[in-house]
Amino acid sequence: MKLYSFTQSLTNKIVLVILSISIILSNQALSANKAEQTNTNNHPLRIAVASNFTTPLKELLIDFHQQTGIKTQIISGATGAMFIQIQHGAPFDIFLAADSIRPAKLEQQNLIIAKSRKTYALGQLALFSMNSTVSLEDLQYLSQKENQRFAIANPDTAPYGKAAKETLAHLGLWQPYQNKLVVGININQTFAQIRTQAVSNGLIANSQLVLNNLAGAVIPSDYHQPIEQQLVILKNSKNVDNAKKLSEYLLSPSVQKKIVNFGYAAIEQP
Amino acid sequence: MINSDVLALLTTLKMAALTTLILLILGTPLAWYLAKMRSRFKVIIEAIVALPLVLPPTVLGFYLLIAFSPQHLPGQLWQQATGQQLAFSFSAIVIGSVLYSMPFVVQPLQKAFEQLGDPLLEAGAMLGAGPMDRFFNIVLPITKASFITAASLGFAHTVGEFGVILMIGGNIPGETRVLSIALFDHVEAFDYARAHVLAISLLIGSMVLLASIYLLNNPRKKTMNKAKR
Repeated sequence: MKLYSFTQSLTNKIVLVILSISIILSNQALSANKAEQTNTNNHPLRIAVASNFTTPLKELLIDFHQQTGIKTQIISGATGAMFIQIQHGAPFDIFLAADSIRPAKLEQQNLIIAKSRKTYALGQLALFSMNSTVSLEDLQYLSQKENQRFAIANPDTAPYGKAAKETLAHLGLWQPYQNKLVVGININQTFAQIRTQAVSNGLIANSQLVLNNLAGAVIPSDYHQPIEQQLVILKNSKNVDNAKKLSEYLLSPSVQKKIVNFGYAAIEQP
Repeated sequence: MINSDVLALLTTLKMAALTTLILLILGTPLAWYLAKMRSRFKVIIEAIVALPLVLPPTVLGFYLLIAFSPQHLPGQLWQQATGQQLAFSFSAIVIGSVLYSMPFVVQPLQKAFEQLGDPLLEAGAMLGAGPMDRFFNIVLPITKASFITAASLGFAHTVGEFGVILMIGGNIPGETRVLSIALFDHVEAFDYARAHVLAISLLIGSMVLLASIYLLNNPRKKTMNKAKR
């Protein structure tokens, strides 16, 4: 049998060689990387974090690592998606959510370490436009303007979207805004829509503005229910001690001050 | 430590190459079977193979996540067999990609096998070639172009995959964080500079890969070579 005549042709050889080389090379590099990781530290603390808090967290972790020597690994994503993944056994140690609903549900389902659910940041909403400086009074003015789109995040799924709806309702403007709304799947999409000037105005997270050195009009926090961002330590974590250290670190007064500087509201101490 | 984007690139290459190999091994008999099948169940199997083209990736990913989790049977069986959790592992994203890229490999092969006439195979059989011999020495050389198309489409589609991996992978560096997810992360974190770098390299890499495969596969090249001679 001449089984090899097929593989003798040049093209096929090239395709097969490319496939095998990429498997072998990437495999070696990846396992080398893994070995390096296990040598230098046993298990890095795996932090699942809502995307709006990823950049502040990265900056805070530099200091955290210097203080404690604990190595960390950040996994950033949408709170809803990571919530589903945790329910199905995702190997995270600590979860920094963008809301309080998902952490509370995880607590109900007995998936977290008892009493580990804590509010680590309070979100602030801001009115923002790329083309002009805005003030709070503009909310009234914009509601009457024809052909004007207004961006908010989805009130049913995104915490900042819910707060945006509550703010407009608080001002009695939810109805006039109905036919103007462009609804983003999350607050990042809403911010991107305004930043690219696809939509001229909208309500977004103040932390996004601070992060990008932009300024908008901060919405008073009594216009909406507090946007509580909570953290939980997961029950199947093998790194509970380090997770607790991170939780304590994030809640410490000095770090809380830094978090406020990232564009969040101060948490009132009970 | 390797740079996290390079790590994502390596993970992507390994995933796509493994997926393509598995799909060629599994997809070839399946495509052959579909091409030669006369049963009325054929349309049902064809529809199942084509489903990933229609289903939103996140939906497929969500159900795969449920199936792969330790609470459900497929995930449990895997855990018993290998001792490791299936969801959020490299194996999970390879299995997910195999399912998701299946139509891109099976369909071109099936079309090629359908167009292949029986007389050639019968002549081969008359000359004493066994089934394996006939497949490797008659079918493969004739349908070579379709194999290359199938492999390159399967590979390219796996590199570009996002929704399924986002759900079942869990974005773990060195394990399940692939290029498309790293790119999404950079955009979400407003790190547009790194996002642009990744996007451009992904674009150029895919262009080079696809163009070179089409170049190798170009029938005009052969006639041109002959003309030169």
